Amino acid sequence: MAIVKLVADYNADPCTGCKLCDIVCPSGAIRMEARKPVIADDLCIGCGRCVDRCPENIMWMKPRDEPLVTTVRAEEVDQDAVAALLLKAGIEASVSVCVCTLTPASEIAGAVIKGAQTLEEVCAMTGMRSGCGIYCVAPALRLLEAAGRDMTPPGQHRWYPTTLSLFDLSDEVCARYPDAYIAEDREVFDPGHKYGPLPKEIV
Amino acid sequence: MTALAAIKPPAFMHSDYGPALRPHVSETLDSMVSVPLTDFFPSFAPPITSGYPETLEADLERVRAETRKSLALVDMSNIAATDSVNILASEHGFGLMGGWPYAEMIKTIREVVIERTGCRKIHLRLAIYRGFREADEVAEHFGFNEAFEGRVKGLGPFDQGVEVETAIGPMYLIKRAFDAPKFIHAYYDDPREMYFNRLLYKSFKSFCMSYARYETRSVYHSMFGNRSGSVIPRALFDSDFIQSRYTFSSVLCTTPMGVVGVDATTDLYAIDRRITKSHLETYGRMQRLFAEIKDCVAVWDGGRWGYYLHGGGLIFGTLLTNHSDAFDLDQPVVAGFMQSPTNPVNFSRNKNLRGVVVNQAWVGAGIPYVTMPFTTPMYIVGEEQAQMWREDPTNPLLMDRAKVVDSLEQGITMACEKGQTDKLIVFDGSYGHLTCNQQLADLLKERAPAVDKQVGEELLPKWLAQRGLA
Repeated sequence: MAIVKLVADYNADPCTGCKLCDIVCPSGAIRMEARKPVIADDLCIGCGRCVDRCPENIMWMKPRDEPLVTTVRAEEVDQDAVAALLLKAGIEASVSVCVCTLTPASEIAGAVIKGAQTLEEVCAMTGMRSGCGIYCVAPALRLLEAAGRDMTPPGQHRWYPTTLSLFDLSDEVCARYPDAYIAEDREVFDPGHKYGPLPKEIV
Repeated sequence: MTALAAIKPPAFMHSDYGPALRPHVSETLDSMVSVPLTDFFPSFAPPITSGYPETLEADLERVRAETRKSLALVDMSNIAATDSVNILASEHGFGLMGGWPYAEMIKTIREVVIERTGCRKIHLRLAIYRGFREADEVAEHFGFNEAFEGRVKGLGPFDQGVEVETAIGPMYLIKRAFDAPKFIHAYYDDPREMYFNRLLYKSFKSFCMSYARYETRSVYHSMFGNRSGSVIPRALFDSDFIQSRYTFSSVLCTTPMGVVGVDATTDLYAIDRRITKSHLETYGRMQRLFAEIKDCVAVWDGGRWGYYLHGGGLIFGTLLTNHSDAFDLDQPVVAGFMQSPTNPVNFSRNKNLRGVVVNQAWVGAGIPYVTMPFTTPMYIVGEEQAQMWREDPTNPLLMDRAKVVDSLEQGITMACEKGQTDKLIVFDGSYGHLTCNQQLADLLKERAPAVDKQVGEELLPKWLAQRGLA
């Protein structure tokens, strides 16, 4: 969950239409029309990345009149389906996928079960990536992949489909890096031996 | 005890990501002292840099000499006069002692490569973290545009990626870092988040962080434990993609005392073994000394994100995680995002840390992480800083909890009263000494001999054996 207090805005006149704000937007809140960004306030999670990226320095964050609360509540989704998805992905429900917003894996999985098709939709629904925007990506992508979502990258280097987990490594890799504590960490993070590699033929 | 009057720390770069520069704690509070680290651990060898602003040029002359001396032994036969070479630099190096020693090593690498190989197409690639304007700030502040004849570009985790096939599967690096046929790994060895990297092949970390897309960084942080995560940078370094471009490494070597030399060779694994051994001996002692602090208030007083500001050569994050022995690999989790169901860790909470006073620090990058102000009282000095934190989208709830104070003194008084402590520690970028108040200095001086003995006789042999370095 994120309580979003800010929203992006910009000065249209000097905008060159370079699209960098669109490309770095994690929640799909910016799209280009007639070479100018159009910002969907209800999708903006207030990360400020567009402001920082703008080469013309003509974007800014402004306070919202009312904070936007982005969350998927447990009661909104089938919790058995959430648990099954987390199990398939090999991610503990209580893990903070997004440490900036403290969004747990169960909420990310809930967004996917609720219908999120893309990483951008997960971000808009939960507010993940409104902080540093970095460390939460792989678990979210893995949950989307485990749910059978299309993992074809959207292009323009918005994201790349990397979902590797500790539980995917082959015996060959374990043998090649014997001092990497792979077996030991698997035991720590999955003492019940319930996780395995993500099936690659997910429908 | 040879505690000195508080020493002014190295000057740091002004940034759009931080407030206007304020007077340091050492300039403001008469009650603070600076304790030479050799008062704690007499075995610490003297550095080649003093860290004092007034001796900067002499420090840099020694860094230049050490870089040249180390590079003289490096095989550069894989760089031809007609080649194009990227020197890859990482942002945190510019937070060490004001950044000048690292910058000097980088400039010297360029000079020596030109002299030795005749190659002049040498580019600097500055890997930054989140702020896209940071690379421009660094290039200008350290004179890189002139030194590299304009061949300078920044790169960040959101820039275009390049897929790299590795033993563990495809990973994504940043294309611009490798847009020349060859590269030089120009690194620094600050252990930084030692509670996360555990000094397990730390010298390779840039390959899954600074030079990598955010997806790769996410895999490293969130999909592995903080021991098994060490496989990712090594798999990247060992990949054909990297090995076909790699020329050599040059690493600015530090201890908590400061810069102690430069280690350059083609064999990064050899560098890593040397650095790890040195770090366990020195940073290991300081980390365990920090563990003796059972109550204190910390002051952030520098030109980087508060989490990464140095005090006594260690970053603030080390204090925050001092409840665990970060170097004991038998402990599976010290900090990390992948949490064990049987061993959950909240790494932004340390009950011994009773408060944080922010005299000056950068905002952003999700640091100090959203949980810290909920568990640790925070006091922001001055309305200008407070407004920066209010507008920081990466810490959206911080100012709901943090208090704004008019002065540093007021913040410290309030933090100490609320935290019921009389001990203060300052993270202002200092190496070679720890700036703190007399109460903390007395405590640490009293505890240091026992820490020294425990590390030397018990912990260090174990740490080294765990890494095959005994």
